[in-house]
Amino acid sequence: MSAGPYNYSYIFKYIIIGDMGVGKSCLLHQFTEKKFMADCPHTIGVEFGTRIIEVAGQKIKLQIWDTAGQERFRAVTRSYYRGAAGALLVYDITRRSTYNHLSSWLSDARNLTNPNTVIFLIGNKSDLEAQRDVTYEEAKQFADENELLFIEASAKTGDNVEDAFLETAKKIYQNIQDGSLDLNAAESGVQHKPLQPGRNQPQNQPNPTKEGCAC
Amino acid sequence: MESLIANLQAQLPSGHRIVTISFSLKHSFSLEAGLVQEWIRTNRLLVLVENSTESALLIYIVSKNVADEFSLERTIPLDTEFKCEIDTASANIVTTDIFLKLSRKKVHLLFEMLPGFKANKFVDEVVKASEVANKKRAPPNFSWLEVYNPQLVWESTTGSDSEQPTSAATELQPSSQNCHDAIPAHLNHKSDSELSSPDVTAHRSSIATGGATPIAARESVVRYQMALRETAYTDLRQISIFLGTYNVNGQPPTSGLADWLSVDKDPPDIYAVGFQELDLSKEAFLFNETPREEEWLRAVIRGLHPKGKYRKVKLVRLVGMMLIVFIQEKHWAYVRGVASEFVGTGLMGKMGNKGGVAIRLDLHNSSLCFVNSHLAAHTEEVERRNQDYLDICNRLVFSTTFPSKAIKDHDQVFWIGDLNYRLSGDLDLLRVKDLLDQSNYQALLQYDQFRAQHAARKIFVGYQEGPILFRPSYKYDPGTDNWDTSEKNRAPAWCDRCLWKGDNVQFKEYRSHPGLRMSDHKPVSCLLECGVKIIDTVRYRRIYEEVMKKLDKLENEFLPQVSVDSTEINFGNVAFNEGATKILTVANTGQVPVQYEFIKKHRDSKYCKPWLACEPYTGFLMPGDNSYITLEILVDKRTAWSLNSGLDELYDILVLHLDGGKDIFITVSGNYQKSCFGCSIEALIQMHQPIAQVAPETVCQLEKAAYPSIDPGNDSDSKQPVLAVPKELWFLLDELYRRGMDTPGLFEQPGLSTEIAAIRKTLDESLPDTLPGSVHSVAESLLIFLETLKEPIIPFSLTQKALDGCGAFPSCKTVYSCLPLSHQHVFKHIISFLKEVLLHSSKNGLDAKTLVALFGSALIRLPPPNYPLGPSISLSLNQPHLDRKRCMFIHHFLVNDLDD
Ligand SMILES: Nc1nc2c(ncn2[C@@H]2O[C@H](COP(=O)(O)OP(=O)(O)OP(=O)(O)O)[C@@H](O)[C@H]2O)c(=O)[nH]1
Ligand SMILES: [Mg+2]
Repeated sequence: MSAGPYNYSYIFKYIIIGDMGVGKSCLLHQFTEKKFMADCPHTIGVEFGTRIIEVAGQKIKLQIWDTAGQERFRAVTRSYYRGAAGALLVYDITRRSTYNHLSSWLSDARNLTNPNTVIFLIGNKSDLEAQRDVTYEEAKQFADENELLFIEASAKTGDNVEDAFLETAKKIYQNIQDGSLDLNAAESGVQHKPLQPGRNQPQNQPNPTKEGCAC
Repeated sequence: MESLIANLQAQLPSGHRIVTISFSLKHSFSLEAGLVQEWIRTNRLLVLVENSTESALLIYIVSKNVADEFSLERTIPLDTEFKCEIDTASANIVTTDIFLKLSRKKVHLLFEMLPGFKANKFVDEVVKASEVANKKRAPPNFSWLEVYNPQLVWESTTGSDSEQPTSAATELQPSSQNCHDAIPAHLNHKSDSELSSPDVTAHRSSIATGGATPIAARESVVRYQMALRETAYTDLRQISIFLGTYNVNGQPPTSGLADWLSVDKDPPDIYAVGFQELDLSKEAFLFNETPREEEWLRAVIRGLHPKGKYRKVKLVRLVGMMLIVFIQEKHWAYVRGVASEFVGTGLMGKMGNKGGVAIRLDLHNSSLCFVNSHLAAHTEEVERRNQDYLDICNRLVFSTTFPSKAIKDHDQVFWIGDLNYRLSGDLDLLRVKDLLDQSNYQALLQYDQFRAQHAARKIFVGYQEGPILFRPSYKYDPGTDNWDTSEKNRAPAWCDRCLWKGDNVQFKEYRSHPGLRMSDHKPVSCLLECGVKIIDTVRYRRIYEEVMKKLDKLENEFLPQVSVDSTEINFGNVAFNEGATKILTVANTGQVPVQYEFIKKHRDSKYCKPWLACEPYTGFLMPGDNSYITLEILVDKRTAWSLNSGLDELYDILVLHLDGGKDIFITVSGNYQKSCFGCSIEALIQMHQPIAQVAPETVCQLEKAAYPSIDPGNDSDSKQPVLAVPKELWFLLDELYRRGMDTPGLFEQPGLSTEIAAIRKTLDESLPDTLPGSVHSVAESLLIFLETLKEPIIPFSLTQKALDGCGAFPSCKTVYSCLPLSHQHVFKHIISFLKEVLLHSSKNGLDAKTLVALFGSALIRLPPPNYPLGPSISLSLNQPHLDRKRCMFIHHFLVNDLDD
């Protein structure tokens, strides 16, 4: 295989979690497509997005899993936390209930990811200042108490969206540099270089006696 | 796959959990000492097991002739000495396969695996397990592996020289007797629960490893693209196939078979020889044992074409149906993926007096499937024959292949057998014989039921048959060429047929062989020339590279996208044993091909609850294409109780995963109509109303109270039972007492599923004076009722005792006296019923043997594999053994008096 398409040296896995309707899918879309989706349907499952970014001169491929926020899916979406290097925990600044549920989301994130997973708290819909229901200070205090990174953002205007994703990556990269994140650990959520050829790809040669396809 | 894993798991000591398995070809086997160096490629089954914190690989030999037989070759502890690599260098053979190199100390093994999601998953798990071993602080203790190989004693090693559980002696004799003893080698018995569709589950390795799913998606795309271009890199080679079918009417081979099997000038490349009614004895029917198998096999071997040198590919038999495939020695090296399966369509949909047996194989790049079937008899039973055919098509799945394959999934299918279609009844027998005397077959074939059903596309759609220019193969006076002169005076018919389906098949010969006079049928044979696909490696390589280039371009631009027509599927009311299906449409709305698969959720053992199945559960979709997934809900005896007791509900969230992309959640729900089938005796005797009139919560409570261990909190006061025996049982027995005692074929003739459903509904909803349906449907309902009880009449805790004590009546009586009171009542009722049935045997034709066999398996059952009792059943008990012991146990009660 030529190295062409894989010109990045790390893959980071992210998950986005939080109550339904807080804007998780819009944040992902804004980050990957730089567009706002005004009438985005509820996520029934887990959406997948990817983008290559640069941190300290290194190309990093982000693989982002945007989970369904509806309560009935909670048991299923929990299985996606495993092996995440970064977790974006989102609430809606105009709906207090979404903020009140943070501690439950946070305990899932802490229990189901590894201790080095970077958790970033995002107060979304900052463009709706008039309807604000949760103050910046209050949320900031919650973030500090729980040692979370924190930012208010708007998936609509794109304000701070880029920063949230990039800051998370920077923090992960830092953890790798200072050795606190062990890349060899099974669930670090980080891969150095893409998979070795052979492990996940067929070798570039045919087998004279195998069937072509089962389809 | 799932059933294979369950099967293997059931044979391992408790605590040893199978993590994942993989098939592979062992490519080479070498000791560093250089003693052995061979290039024999034989199939291996690799099984990764874990026991608390440690893991080991069990390597089984898969016998080439009997693909579903395994014997343990060796065990490899995953300790710090163990290494696992993907070998790219040793590919001096042209191949796309993955080479997995395992080494530990002096042992080096190279395994060849088909690339794909499964292989990746397997390798991922092995790598993960060995990483765990490397990180482990505690000293290794693999003494738990000793059970697999009792001769070898594990020594905790600090010095690296000491030999480990795989001693040199075992290295050199891979299939030493020991290993056979440690693991029962026969995994080929199928329990009826396995007859349901095979389920394969996939792990989400991408979640665990944190990425690189797009690369996984790529493989299926490559495989698909290569398949599309298959004709561009394959050539056809002609091989000849001889199909032979013979209903031998229970006779032994008293004369040679050369007049049937080697009448052509040249030896065929492949023989597929099928028999029906190999053995008509009760033993064969009840225990699937017969000396005829060996006798006829020998006769066939003696009758094969003398100019060819043949090897037996496989033999499969179900009661009287046997199929043997031979191939000329020179082709053997190109044969892979040999597997066999069978489906019984007799009484209760599983008895093997009717049904089909099949053998599949890959020859070069083509997949071939041979089916031998014996369909329902009698002129008027056309619909039942059609149903038998459809049942075989639907239920026969080769589950040991990757991925599992149904009959239709083969390039070429050859179907032979006593299909039993007759000349339609309105034809006068004298006229038939008259036309036959004139050899006017064409006139007669107008009345051939097979031709009529085939033309109406009710059966064998897409199959072809050669022109019939021979006399009907049925029915003759044995030993002669004269038409049947017996009392029954059966009309002649072309019962025995040979059909084929697929491209590149050329018809050569179709004939019967009247010279063989052992049976009331004549054998029939058909000779075909078939094009088998062979890969041209040079062209393959060029095309492969083109595909890769094209994909490289696409991959980084697009992610897979699909839409589904519904994410909430509600089945409404669901009744016991009445399946319902819904279709889920999956449309590829993206720009790249999509590989989708239902994947299991964290910690679940299957992608869906046991009462649900998705077909197909995985598939491949080109952009713009649609795929229709059938979701089938079926609450049967395995799941009814958990729904009755409220431990489970008809609600599940399925995860539809796109390789390299998103997941979609499909919520499935339904409203289960509680039924008296699938309850426990304890709960049933508390209900004097029909179950449909009892509040669902009350049913839950009663069931939970019957099993306090399952729900300790629910310690509700154990009430006095309101009934001595379940009223439903009483109604069924009463109906048979009144209507059935003198009915010929009682308990031997299957009932009708619609009537059985009506009987169940009647029992669930009312306190009936009479039950609907025929006597046979009532009789089958009774058996189903007993089989579906949460615990059999002889509870699982006493199964072992009953089987052990089956030799003498006093010990059987002791077992009886240990039964809970309610079970004693029921047992007594049934025994006196059976005695009564036997009093009428001159009318109903039943004998004690058949009766005890039927009721033995209903009254004494083996606990399910995960039953919490602790396995007290010895693993060596094979099916015929078990059946005999159950029969003996019941039989004692029929010939002795309980009250003595
Ligand atoms: N004004 C404003 N609206 C937003 C913003 N982000 C999202 N929305 C709107 O909020 C609604 C929900 O957004 P989604 O992204 O679908 O929410 P979600 O968190 O993905 O919801 P689930 O998929 O159900 O978990 C949509 O109608 C969006 O248009 C924002 O920053 N500002
Ligand atoms: Mg969403």
